[in-house]
Amino acid sequence: MAGKTPVDPAALREEVKSKYREVAVDPHGIFHFHTGRPLAKRLEYDDDVVGAMPDVAVESFSGVGNPFILRRLSRGERVVEMGSGAGFDSFIARQQVGPEGQVMGVDMTEEMLEKSRKTAAEMGFDNVEFHEGIIEDMPVEDGWADVVISNGVINLCADKDQVFSEIFRVLKPGGRLQFGDIANSNPVPDEAVENIDLWTA
Amino acid sequence: MIEEAGFIDVEIGAPMDTFGGAGGEGNARAFGVYGYSFLAHKPG
Repeated sequence: MAGKTPVDPAALREEVKSKYREVAVDPHGIFHFHTGRPLAKRLEYDDDVVGAMPDVAVESFSGVGNPFILRRLSRGERVVEMGSGAGFDSFIARQQVGPEGQVMGVDMTEEMLEKSRKTAAEMGFDNVEFHEGIIEDMPVEDGWADVVISNGVINLCADKDQVFSEIFRVLKPGGRLQFGDIANSNPVPDEAVENIDLWTA
Repeated sequence: MIEEAGFIDVEIGAPMDTFGGAGGEGNARAFGVYGYSFLAHKPG
């Protein structure tokens, strides 16, 4: 059951969709965050792995951390990416789990889904799928995943308790959560927390 | 919050200057915002 949230979850979702729709269709536009290859380098992704990826797989990357830096994925693992965007981290995951693994991305933005599916096909990844959904209620069976990854998405959800509950549901016992996200060390005033515009700025 | 959801063995990586040089740097600096990597396990 959803808990009390500081902003309306549906309104926040629409704001997030609007922002990331821009990142999908105009990845070299002006944003308040870094994108693409310069961001991947800043976040310490493997230069050789990213360098081998086509531009379309990297240009809309807009994560805030590196889900793979504390632990690599193992070959054959089943992976769910929450908020998969244009697919950059899902493609990194595919590189680590290999052809015997499975990667399932979940995203709510149509333009991102279209881009990620097209890129997966171009890269020849038949074990990477992208599904429409919200991360508070993912279209994934109970206990399906060995690993759930995410990058810069949980902070954009109003009901984080529900998000972590959903992650717990889709992971198998002993499964792992590996994600990148932001955290603040200085207090954020209530009026800022309740301002949807600031959640995506 | 992660442990409250039932996860164990939570690890947090070093802070990353995610917004340095980007348009959002001002807000990031004001609130001490950095990017982090997290690892947690569902009990087996």
